[in-house]
Amino acid sequence: MESLSETQWDVVIEGTGLRQSLLALALSRSNKKVLHVDQNEYYGGIAAAFSLQEIEEWAERVTKEPTTGPFRNASIWRASDEDPTGGEALSFSRAYSLSLSPQIIYSKSKLLSQLVSSQVYRQLEFQAVGNWWIYVPTVPSEPAQTATLKRLPNGREDIFEDSSIENRAKRCLMKFLKFVADYENHAEIWESHAKSGLPQFLASQFQLSSQLQAVICALTLSLNSPEETSVGYSLPRIKRHLTSIGVFGPGFGAVVPKWGGGAEIAQVACRAGAVGGGVYVLGTGISSSQQSDNDAPIEVQLSNGETVQTKHLARFTEFVSDTQPNNTTISRIMAVVSSPLTSLFENSVEGSPVPAVSVIVFPPGTLTNDSIAHRYPAYVIPHSSDAGECPVGQCVLYATTLCTTNSKDLLETALNAFLTTHGEDTKLLYSVYYEQQECGWQTKDLSDRSNPSFDLAFNDLLLEDVAAEWKAILGSDVDESTFMQFEKRPNMDDGDDDYDNEH
Amino acid sequence: MASDESLTALKILMIGPSGAGKSALLIRYCDDQFDSESSTATIGVDFKRKKLSVHGKAYQLFLLDTAGQERFRTLSNSYYRGAHGVILVYDISNRQSFQAMERWFEEAESNAIPGAIMYLVGSKLDKAASSRVVEYTEGEQLAARHGAGFCEVSSKTRENVRKPFVEIVDKIVKSPELLAATSRQTGAVTVTGSEGAGWSSCAC
Repeated sequence: MESLSETQWDVVIEGTGLRQSLLALALSRSNKKVLHVDQNEYYGGIAAAFSLQEIEEWAERVTKEPTTGPFRNASIWRASDEDPTGGEALSFSRAYSLSLSPQIIYSKSKLLSQLVSSQVYRQLEFQAVGNWWIYVPTVPSEPAQTATLKRLPNGREDIFEDSSIENRAKRCLMKFLKFVADYENHAEIWESHAKSGLPQFLASQFQLSSQLQAVICALTLSLNSPEETSVGYSLPRIKRHLTSIGVFGPGFGAVVPKWGGGAEIAQVACRAGAVGGGVYVLGTGISSSQQSDNDAPIEVQLSNGETVQTKHLARFTEFVSDTQPNNTTISRIMAVVSSPLTSLFENSVEGSPVPAVSVIVFPPGTLTNDSIAHRYPAYVIPHSSDAGECPVGQCVLYATTLCTTNSKDLLETALNAFLTTHGEDTKLLYSVYYEQQECGWQTKDLSDRSNPSFDLAFNDLLLEDVAAEWKAILGSDVDESTFMQFEKRPNMDDGDDDYDNEH
Repeated sequence: MASDESLTALKILMIGPSGAGKSALLIRYCDDQFDSESSTATIGVDFKRKKLSVHGKAYQLFLLDTAGQERFRTLSNSYYRGAHGVILVYDISNRQSFQAMERWFEEAESNAIPGAIMYLVGSKLDKAASSRVVEYTEGEQLAARHGAGFCEVSSKTRENVRKPFVEIVDKIVKSPELLAATSRQTGAVTVTGSEGAGWSSCAC
């Protein structure tokens, strides 16, 4: 087998996370010689999806080498097999594909149009994200009323039909929705409030009740407290949510790739890179690199001891550096439960596809108890077995909140509260807690903790990074409109083979 | 005649070590071409399509090659998604390639859906007289241990090149559970925005 160092590479890409994999896809028809390496033995970087056994190996590595990646404090809990209450049990390891950084992809995201124009959507299956819920806790004054999930209105008709919103409030809400659909052209309403908190803006400019403020805040998927979630950050996100509904069919505004989300996109993009001639090596990182002067090739030392030469080296910083200010951390739990949670995934609009993913928002304060001060919103995002991440009859729950001293308790409380509202005899079978630090970002000065590595919805800023790197590699005279625009591959197809006529 | 879209689509993967002759077999079967000089992986071909009729019914085969990702064993899980069959290829004139097959079986069995059909192929049968190092019975026994079909082929002389494809398809179509497992697409949505109504609740 010839060694890697015998080739004069045009591009070496380090890492197979979404950014790097999409870069490989973008370069897959460029006739560049691409060497794509990843220090991990798996594809996907922080977006990787794992079987149960792979999660155990990953958790062990996180514990042993806490400084080499963005993850910390991983711990696994598994229902004991001798559990006397019985119930459904965990299936075999590979029946699961649990995602480390699950994200929904809004229908309006450029990622989807780029997956289509680059042809790789053919290797992906998408499932709908429908049914958004907000958690309404028991109020001390009415202890008889149990905590419930209230479905968020799915567009204008839903709001008209919602009897829990009084008419005056409906008019205010409609006024806000009309504004946000065209907020860019109404700077006079919001620009002076851009840095203010969203709830105050909704109250002062649109007279929205605190209940409706919570609904609007939920749509931002912000990890910050509502007061610290700025108007400038929120408006594009709310608009994206509202304008995405119905784009690809009634009743939903976002999708998730089946079998593990971003990990699946990364793998399909890397295969496109390989089909285009790219060479793939996993379990091999980059130890160091040097360049004697700007015109000389870059010498790259691989962790397997080989040295290769390349014109370009694409190293997106995946990990936190000490110099980065306001370095934040999130807490996550991925859990497997013993129920299909059918009522969560019922289609809300006639003729809409059955969603495989639902979103449950726990606004700050709703989970407060004696030991928990619930300051930041918590999100629980259930995936049904249609998402391809667990066996039929079970669901995967992904819970996320900003990391605080009691965020683990908070997430566990959120999961329990959710399971209690669901009412069925649903058991927790498996649960993994971990913390994730934010990753470096090169394109923009990010405010409001909108770091794409944390975002619960795919953030199009990531595509700007990819396009910038693509342009840097192909040169400034490249036609930007050709980014991710590919013809369908010729398959030299349609030979017929009629076995029966000869046998 | 039925249009291609209405035919039952079968996804069949080619795997095995570099240089075993996967692409040569695929190109001989699909295009009836053979290039003895070409030893490098084909660039730019994602998959090949071929219509195959078995027992009076036509099937649309989607035949996927490794795109070189076998070289450092970096095939992804997603490569195996929805595959009805896996053809594992080794070179009968190369002992090392045969020895690697146990690991390839392992990878295929753990990544493909349960019940996917495996088929082992010993390639370069034209070299049998001059440089065979793996006996027919060795291949036959390995295949039997994994419940896989088996044959030896020569892409150079065309000998048996259709046999693996015909036999694997024959086994696939006799497995209704396998066909059902791969056609279940509850709630699948399309994101192209231009094809059809934009989404479909059932793609069966």
